[in-house]
Amino acid sequence: MLMMSRRERETILIGDDIEIVIAQIGRSRVKVGIRAPREMPVMARELKLVREENLAAAVASPAAVSNLLKKLHPTLQVVRKQSDEVNVGQEAGT
Amino acid sequence: MPVLKTKHFGKLSYETPSELEFPVGLPGFDDRKRFVAVRLVESDPLIYLQSMEDPALCFITMPILAADPQYRLKLTGEDLGYLGLKSTRQPRIGDDVLCLTVLSIREAGPTANLLAPIVVNLRNRKAVQAVAPESDYSHQFALMPQEAIPQEAMPQEGAVC
Repeated sequence: MLMMSRRERETILIGDDIEIVIAQIGRSRVKVGIRAPREMPVMARELKLVREENLAAAVASPAAVSNLLKKLHPTLQVVRKQSDEVNVGQEAGT
Repeated sequence: MPVLKTKHFGKLSYETPSELEFPVGLPGFDDRKRFVAVRLVESDPLIYLQSMEDPALCFITMPILAADPQYRLKLTGEDLGYLGLKSTRQPRIGDDVLCLTVLSIREAGPTANLLAPIVVNLRNRKAVQAVAPESDYSHQFALMPQEAIPQEAMPQEGAVC
């Protein structure tokens, strides 16, 4: 990985189209300005991870869900017994 | 009682307090802003988040403390704003907010996204998926089935469902 030292308001160029400005340096965070072509998505890495994770989570089939319940079931026996008593009146749908 | 078309349970009638509003949607589903939290006794401790706008979209979640009893919630000022909460203190799980983790079902076993919990303000039903920028939590935390889940990890949050 290329490492560069930059001061506030200094700029880094990537290729011809991308410009990164160190806008502000705080105590524990920096504010970075990014100029890039519209078609190039720019986002925080963690947001990309969450986006991909959500897309993966959304495809669970009904069969996969009942499988998951079977897997969770043995360890949750004790908890179930307790929470059943609490939740019977709050069942969402019948 | 309103009726909802769901992905996993056909048509389901539900109580309106189970409706959640995500003012900014969820990453990857930015235009999905209304969900119903569904909890069924037979699938406890899972809580399903069924989209009201798209019957084919349903997230499977569980209370985050059931996945990680030590979990520490830390919301950004922006997320607190979406929830209509004061920025002066962090909300308490169970008292102020419901905190859910989204599950993914993988071949190697189910994983929980601890990096971005779904947080619901219990007082106004506003919700966000809170992406923690400075967090060491994994977005693919392995939910080991052989790991016992302590009883006290199950918060009494049934009121929302």
